[in-house]
Order: sequence, then structure tokens, then C-alpha cells
Amino acid sequence: MIFEPIDIEISELSCERDDRLLFKNLSMTLSSGQILRVAGPNGAGKTTLLRMIAGLFEIQTGAIRMNQSPLTECLEQILYIGHKPQVTKDLTVLDNLKFLTGSDDDHLKRALGDVGLKGYHDSLVKELSQGQGRRCALARLWCVESPIWILDEPYTALDVEMVKTLDARITAHAAAGGICLFTTHQPPQSLKYTTLELGHVT
Amino acid sequence: MGWRWFHQWGSPRWFYERAGRWQLVCGWLALTLLITGSFWGLALAPVDYQQGNSYRIIYLHVPVAFLAQALYAAMAVCAVVLFVWKMKLADVAMQSIAVMGFAFTALSLISGAVWGKPTWGTYWVWDARLTSMLILAFLYLGVIGLRAAIQDPDQAGKACGILVLVGVVNLPIIKYSVEWWNTLHQPASLKLTEKPAMPASMWVPLLTNILGYYIAAAYLILGSMRAIVLERERRSAWVRELVSRA
Amino acid sequence: MSLERRMLTRELKLIAARPGDIFKPMWFLMLVISMVPLALAPDSDLLSEIGSAMIWVATLLALLLNTEHLFQSDFSDGVLEQWLFLDRPLAWLVGLKLIAHWLFHVLPLILITPIAGIMLSVPTDVLLALLVTLVIATPALTCFSGLGAALTLGSSRSGILGVLVMMPLFVPVVILAAGVLIRAMDGSDTLPLLALLGAFSVVAATLVPIAVSAAIRLNIGGSN
Repeated sequence: MIFEPIDIEISELSCERDDRLLFKNLSMTLSSGQILRVAGPNGAGKTTLLRMIAGLFEIQTGAIRMNQSPLTECLEQILYIGHKPQVTKDLTVLDNLKFLTGSDDDHLKRALGDVGLKGYHDSLVKELSQGQGRRCALARLWCVESPIWILDEPYTALDVEMVKTLDARITAHAAAGGICLFTTHQPPQSLKYTTLELGHVT
Repeated sequence: MGWRWFHQWGSPRWFYERAGRWQLVCGWLALTLLITGSFWGLALAPVDYQQGNSYRIIYLHVPVAFLAQALYAAMAVCAVVLFVWKMKLADVAMQSIAVMGFAFTALSLISGAVWGKPTWGTYWVWDARLTSMLILAFLYLGVIGLRAAIQDPDQAGKACGILVLVGVVNLPIIKYSVEWWNTLHQPASLKLTEKPAMPASMWVPLLTNILGYYIAAAYLILGSMRAIVLERERRSAWVRELVSRA
Repeated sequence: MSLERRMLTRELKLIAARPGDIFKPMWFLMLVISMVPLALAPDSDLLSEIGSAMIWVATLLALLLNTEHLFQSDFSDGVLEQWLFLDRPLAWLVGLKLIAHWLFHVLPLILITPIAGIMLSVPTDVLLALLVTLVIATPALTCFSGLGAALTLGSSRSGILGVLVMMPLFVPVVILAAGVLIRAMDGSDTLPLLALLGAFSVVAATLVPIAVSAAIRLNIGGSN
């Protein structure tokens, strides 16, 4: 499928947390097909920026608008996967995804096959390894149709093969007119992206 | 343009400097009123024909009990200001009022108990007013405890704001239900008999003291607000300058 | 499958995975009830007089115990923040969660109170009144303790703070319920008080979820 053209306009965004200025007067525009990596050292405000764009963190000064309308009206366009597990340990892989996506079983099973969790549908998440748990959370990328992806550390705990699969999925998403923002400390090899460097505020 | 005064309240520095002057005025005013009212009430006012001299504790108890309740309402007003206008000073006020409110509630409970001993023969009865005062003390404690548990001051302020607003809606319901509960059970046999109207020589000093305590509370709250402002703004240039000058 | 059904199904599956969450409060309730005659005297007249009030207080404590961490695991797993992206207002989802919690966690607690009543020789008609007051009053109590749980979400060292903060707000409910029990004991009309209790519960159940959702939003905004 092809997404409607979309643009995210960030203007004059500043953030101060616990008396520390994380970033100041950050302005940029993201448009359809763009893949942006938010980079910077630990504590530079990467997660905070992503959470602001996802509407999870209150904007202090500045504004973020999506297609000229305020962010809060477009939350259902966003797929956010944070660095917390995003899955419930006591539920099965399939039940977890069913609750969050509302997709039907066939669709979900196909998505689980794509992330290499075929045959794990009825396993409890607590029985999986860390990487498999991460794959379960990422499986949503294969079954939800949101144009804007915000992924915080999606590559953590993934093996080489899964990293490639994820790169391919992000590339395909951008090709379809979606936007993807992510953070990582291991720059992905097979992905073309632009970088926003944080952590230069004095 | 008419809003200038309102926005100035948002500036911690402006508040810190002004509040220092107001505090001075409040302090002297409260001191004068309290000395006059207390001397008048404790030494000059006539003896009560039923209770003798022990009634004189009303010159402490009544103002303090009034304040205990009024401060919760003041805290709720601050919570509204915090949520509607996002004014951080309202949060500072909420923080200091919570502590003062608890202190005054505790003082009114203690002075009530001290008064209760000679008049009722016991320090504590489950009277409606005492009971709702006790609940009020727990409500204040809740606000103080919640703030202490949350690290980030902004977040703690908002959480307390939610709690205070829920509490202020419930407060009248609690008060009426406690009064009703009191009539439901056998009413305390040691109830104070209905007193005749107070003569002016008793209530004028009482009024003086009520006013005095209100202004003293304002003095204390302004003082603690200034301290909180300094602490929260400790990294700003004006506070550093202030400290280096001192 | 609608979001509402997904939510309830999820709750049921969670219960199946963690049955202890249901049984522990029941266990607690029965233990507290067993302590009463031990601390007082095995005198059935005395027990029947205070029994219904004891059961009420013990149920209240058990309810607080199992509501205290209502949102905690979803919050720390990061599932709660996903609720903000679901196609419904947060207050509505919170309301659903509270309804599910009441149905699957609080109702079972109420259903075992008759056993406690028999143990404390509470007369049958008072026991019936006790059951009715609990069914009517617990939705309000669940909402308030849910608010306590939500307010203290972000603080790691809160302990039972949520319980302490919310308990004073239970006063009207406890007083009204006690009024019903006293009237049931001397056989007078309990209906007006039950109506009042019901009204309080309905108002609490409609308004408190809004406060709970504000508290959750606040804590999500403050966490990383």
C-alpha cells in the first residue's frame, strides 16, 4: 500500500530536564519517505525527542505539527515502539499482538513468520529469549498500517539476520511513503538514512 | 496589557523580591494583631460563667481550626491555577500550603484535645467536628506524602494537584457524612451545651486573633514559598548572584 | 474484535496466567476475619454485633491490597503507554480496566464474605444487607484506589502510599454502608441509604476514571 503524503514540522523545540538543557531551538521538517536516525551520546535526549514527537512527553517550548494540524490530533497515525519490552510477560505472543493491533489471527501469524517467530504463537513471552521478545514487539511493524514509525533502540538484542530483515522492512516502509525515526548505537549497514546529531548544547 | 500583573506572578525572581517585602509587612501586622488579641483575650476578656478560664483556649483553637479548613480550599485554588494557567508559582504555593495546612490541623486537634479535657473530661471524643478534622489531617498528609514520593518537582506538583482537586470535591461530602454519622449513633453525652451569644468583650479579641493568625499564616507561607523558589531556581543566574552576594 | 472485547479478553487471560492475584486477597480476608475472635473473644453475641462491620473493614483492606498495583506491571512493561495510541479516549480505557478489575478481582472477594459472616455469626438478614452494600459500594472504592495506584505509578519508593493517600476519601462510603448495616440490624428501611450509596458509586465511577487517566498520562510523560 502507499501512504498519503505526510509531513512533520518541528519548530523551535527546546527541552530541559532535571535542570539540564537537552536540546534548544531544534527545527526541521520530516516528509514522506524519510528515514531519520537520532544520534548522540547517552543522556543527549534521544528518547525524550522521540517521545515528544510521539506525544508521550509534554512539549515545553516550540511546536510539532503534522500536516499543519496539532500533534495530539494525529496520534493514531503513529506506531511507537519504545525501549521498554512493550509486551506482557504473562501472555502468549499471539495474545500480546492481538490486544495491541486488533488484527485477525492469520494476519498476525504471517507477521510472526516474518520476524522468525513461526511456531512460537502460543508461547508465553516470559519463555522467550530477550531477542525473541524484542522480535515479538517488532512484529507490529508487519501488521499495523501507520504511516509514522517511531522506534527507540529497535536493534537492541537482535541477531544479524533479524537486523537485515528489519532494515528491509524500514526501507520498504519509506518506499511506500512512510516516515521512520529511530535511535540506535549500532549504525545499521543496509539502511539508507539521514542523521540528526543531538548533544551539542552547552 | 491588563494581564501584566498576572504574568509577573509567573516570574520566580519577581516573586522572590516582592514576597520579601510583603513578608515584612505581614510579619509586623500579624505580631501586632496577635499580641493585642491574645493579651485582650487571655487577660482582659471576662471569665465564662460555665467554663471558667478554660474557654480562653478559643483564642488559639478557633483561628487555627478556621485556617486548617481555609488552607485546603486555598490549595485547591492553587491546583486550578496550576492546571489552567500552568503557573509554576501555584505549585510552589501548593507545596507550602500543604505543610502549613497540616501543621494548623494538627494544632487545632491538639488544642481541641487540651480544651476537651476540662470541658468533656476526656481528650478525645468521636464528635463530628473532631472526626472531620482528623480526616482533614490525613488528607493533608496524603498530599505531603505524595509530593515526597515523586522525584521530579513538576510531576509531583501535577500529581498533588489531581489529588487536591479530587479531595476538595470530596471534602463537603466527607463533612456531611461525618455529621450524619454522628447523629446516627448515640450522640456523645458530654456535649457542650448551647452557649449564649458571646458578648463583644469576648468576640472582638477573637476576631482580632483570627485576623492575626490568617496574616501570620500568610507570613509563614510566603517565607516557605521563597525558600522553595530559591531551591528550585538554584541553577539560575539570579539565584547564584544572590548567593554570591550574601 | 472490538477494542472493548480485546481488553476484557486480555484481563481474563492475565487472570488465568496469574491466579494468585485473585486468591491472595481472599486469603488475606479470611485471615483477618479469623483474627477477630482470637483478638476479642469467641463470644457469638459479641461477634454478631461487630461482625458485619469487621467484614466490611477487612474487605476494604483486601480490596486496597489487590488494587494497589493495578497499573504497575503494564506501566513498567511499556504496554500502558501504547494505550495512548489506541483509538479510544484514555479515560474510557481506564474505565474498562477498572470494570474488568471489579468483575474479576473484587466480585470474587465479595462472594466469599458470606463464609466470613457465618464464621462471625452475623444474622442472615444483616449478611444480605452486607452483600448488597459491598456490591453497591465497591465500584466507588475500586475507582478511588485505582486513582491511588495511578498517582504513585512513577515513584519507585511509594510502598503503600497509594492506599494511604486514598483511604480518607473512603469515609463517606464507609459511613453510608455502616448506616445500612445498623438499619438492617434493627430491621428498619435501608432503601434510602442504599440509593444514596448507589448514587455516590455512580458519580465516582463516571468522574474518577478521568482523574485516573490524567494521573497515568502524567506518569507516562515523566518516564523514559
